[in-house]
Amino acid sequence: MSQLVIFMKWEVLIFLGGLAALVALQLLTGQINTDGLFRDTGPKGSGQTSSARVQLLIMTVGAAAYYISQVVANPNPGTFPAIPTAWPVILGGSNLLHLGTKAFTAWFGQRKTT
Amino acid sequence: MAPSPAMQILTLVCGYIICVLIGLLGLVVLWKIFDGSIDLSELLDESNGGASMSRFQLLIFTFVFAFSLFLVIVSTNPPAFPPIPGTVLSLLGISGSSYLVSKGIQFSDPAALRAQGTEIVISPNKATVAPGKTQQFTADVSKAGAKLVWEKMAGDGAIDASGLYTAPATVTGGHSYATIQVSSPDIPGAVDLAVITIVS
Repeated sequence: MSQLVIFMKWEVLIFLGGLAALVALQLLTGQINTDGLFRDTGPKGSGQTSSARVQLLIMTVGAAAYYISQVVANPNPGTFPAIPTAWPVILGGSNLLHLGTKAFTAWFGQRKTT
Repeated sequence: MAPSPAMQILTLVCGYIICVLIGLLGLVVLWKIFDGSIDLSELLDESNGGASMSRFQLLIFTFVFAFSLFLVIVSTNPPAFPPIPGTVLSLLGISGSSYLVSKGIQFSDPAALRAQGTEIVISPNKATVAPGKTQQFTADVSKAGAKLVWEKMAGDGAIDASGLYTAPATVTGGHSYATIQVSSPDIPGAVDLAVITIVS
């Protein structure tokens, strides 16, 4: 049975790793469209770099890196590491800022005439 | 009561068969992504063509959670599915609900939506050309830098790769028609047509 468990571990690892590598490769080579990721897009957007989007990216990458580091260094095997309760609040605030900016632009912004 | 040796062997064989089938399915999915049969190019796209920050966040958190779950499960012997803390579910919930609210905001503003079938718009869509003369066609595409393919679908004359149509030198009966099409390999399914009347 232990051989089957090892087989399953490698199977999942290869699939997850392969999928992550393919997505990362396509993001880096531009096959996955990232045009406008930071820009205030849409017919009423300014087209400029949006600070709300940039801060959301920084928070997202920061939270993801922090959590992975906690999982790798987890002293209690078989359990998820505890996340400080401040993290969901900070990330929720970051998302709220992004969504608020987006909603304001969509509902109260001036449509571009070009 | 402990299972009999025959039952243990049967369980093991079934386990290997299921693992191999799932593994092959996973490899097929990876291969189809690699060769482009599964198209991920619009993975982050909003309906207006720009990349979505909410989608990007959901993608990152999904991978982080998947890898974390894998690491936690294999950290014990035998592997066991762990209880999921509320804070982890909160993070995933924030990401998922942020994506949904983002879609809601986007769909609440009709101006932000690009109607189906307007990914490529040919201009002009009707033209009248004298025999032997030319007509330049252009196309407005939703995706910046998308490659265009010009083709004559029916009728007389020819069109080159830049969208320049050249009418035949002579037409029988005083007039003739041609239909040209523009498409793009970068925007699957997007196509537009123009009709040309050739009048001598």
